[in-house]
Amino acid sequence: MIRRKWIKDVHALLFTLPALVPLTVFWLAPLVYVFYLSFTEWDFMSPEKPFVGWSNYKELFDNPAFYDALRVTLLFCAGNVVPTLVGGLALALLLNWKLAGSSLYRLLVFSPWVTPTVAVSIVWSWIFEPDVGLANTVLNALGFDSVGWLQDPKWAMAGVLIVTVWKSVGWAMVFYLVALKNVPSDLLEAAALDGANERQKFFRVTLPLISPTTFFLFIVLTIESLQAYDQINVLTQGGPSGTTRTLLYLYYQSAFESFNVGQASSVAIVLVFCCVALSLIAYAFSRKTVHYH
Amino acid sequence: MKEMNASNKTNTVNVTKLLGTGLRHILLLAVAVIMAFPFYWMATSALKTNDEIWQFPPTFWPVDPQWGNYAEAWLQAPFGRYMANSIFVAGAIVICQIFNSAMMAYAITHMKFRLRGAFTGLILLGYMIPSTAVYLPSYIVLSELHLLDSYGGLILSNCVSVFAIFLVRQAFMQVSHELVEAGQIDGASHFRILWTIVAPLTRSTFTVLALTTFISQYNNYFWPMLITKDPDLRLVSAGLRDFFIEGGAYGLKWPLIMAASAFTILPLIVLFLVGQKAIMRSVNFSVGVNKG
Repeated sequence: MIRRKWIKDVHALLFTLPALVPLTVFWLAPLVYVFYLSFTEWDFMSPEKPFVGWSNYKELFDNPAFYDALRVTLLFCAGNVVPTLVGGLALALLLNWKLAGSSLYRLLVFSPWVTPTVAVSIVWSWIFEPDVGLANTVLNALGFDSVGWLQDPKWAMAGVLIVTVWKSVGWAMVFYLVALKNVPSDLLEAAALDGANERQKFFRVTLPLISPTTFFLFIVLTIESLQAYDQINVLTQGGPSGTTRTLLYLYYQSAFESFNVGQASSVAIVLVFCCVALSLIAYAFSRKTVHYH
Repeated sequence: MKEMNASNKTNTVNVTKLLGTGLRHILLLAVAVIMAFPFYWMATSALKTNDEIWQFPPTFWPVDPQWGNYAEAWLQAPFGRYMANSIFVAGAIVICQIFNSAMMAYAITHMKFRLRGAFTGLILLGYMIPSTAVYLPSYIVLSELHLLDSYGGLILSNCVSVFAIFLVRQAFMQVSHELVEAGQIDGASHFRILWTIVAPLTRSTFTVLALTTFISQYNNYFWPMLITKDPDLRLVSAGLRDFFIEGGAYGLKWPLIMAASAFTILPLIVLFLVGQKAIMRSVNFSVGVNKG
């Protein structure tokens, strides 16, 4: 009996190896390693990595650039997640109706999500061109002054966010379309019989019923925002004067531009901590408030 | 919509419904045009001469379309090579991920073994860790393995995805144990049961997985750019970005840059149009992931 159990264990472990080996080498080990590196000082070159204790973290938490990056990251998350959720839901509500050509609309709105971020960011940087770009042409036509979309510290974040939301709103819409289809129509009819108007039906029946989707999208979009790099790299490189430098961008710059491995690792640990904490909080929160049906 | 209103109200209902439909069309049309306009702008900017593209106000259709711009851009940088690299690397990753996520998912759903719970927990936890955070240590690991600047590094470092395992696990949980047990009674090995019974039953999940993985890997930029310096190994996004910076000196050759962006995006648009049903279906599966 005992022998057979062992054979079963080994057999199953063999099945897990093709995933487990790369997972360990490229994900689990690096995770432990980055934690270790965050307590050392290293520049990629020197043969030794002296242990420096908490000093990387102390330096990081004393560094105003860190707080700037944190603020920019929060702004970027909020500026991406909220419009994407609201816009995605609004579009889904418009499309959740027997409508001629709705699949074409859906296709067009969804298409940016499929395209490479780098390529479309290049296209957008031409649209944001300050002198003859399309964005300023439209602004002028509407009677507004031109804006330095990617050059002006006041506007750069807006420019990056427009591209980000443009890319993800159709994706959120498709999720909401599925969720809305799953709202039982008899519930809505019952609410109507009880005298609920459209607004009440939406806020009291539909919105609570699709909350698992909102919750899921919130988490995925926030984690994606924390990891956004491509569009920032093409559009602004973190500038002008750091107004689009997120934590991830700071991490990248201290690692691969300043070669400050220890410092960069401490930023990475902060990022990991943010993602895990966020997921756990959201999970606990969802237990209480999200309605699964 | 159906029996919501009494019949004497039918007329007013029809009018509001008609108005509602019209309004919806107008709104949706406006949104669709805004969403798709950057693509139109890219394709037509590529057809302009350098003089015309700097004109103010811009022209909405080029006066004298320069179709040759596309060919010229194609020849100015090795885009064929970049695209072949992207397709090869993304394709290889898709094959690896299908194989190892199926094996892993099968083990944690249909095989009984002692570490099963721990493995499932590991996958769940992995779902929360941002992969970009481990780019720095992974880079060091790759350099220790002498895999920097190689196709092997590009493929191996992306050959497993926690998300893929998650997705397949979700599908395999729908397959009944009895089916697996019946296979075992017939004397089939687990490997055989997985690939001849379970996988064919869940092939729509694999289609979704293949398409979404291919798209994200074809588009991948940050990580491949970090681990390769050799221009011959460049994937299409990094190649395009180089062309944007070097060739264009930030905008001196905008028509060519737009042309290059256009043919970078084109294969994905085609793939999207062919596989749109499956790609949109991925949403259903991902929602399932959340509930798991």
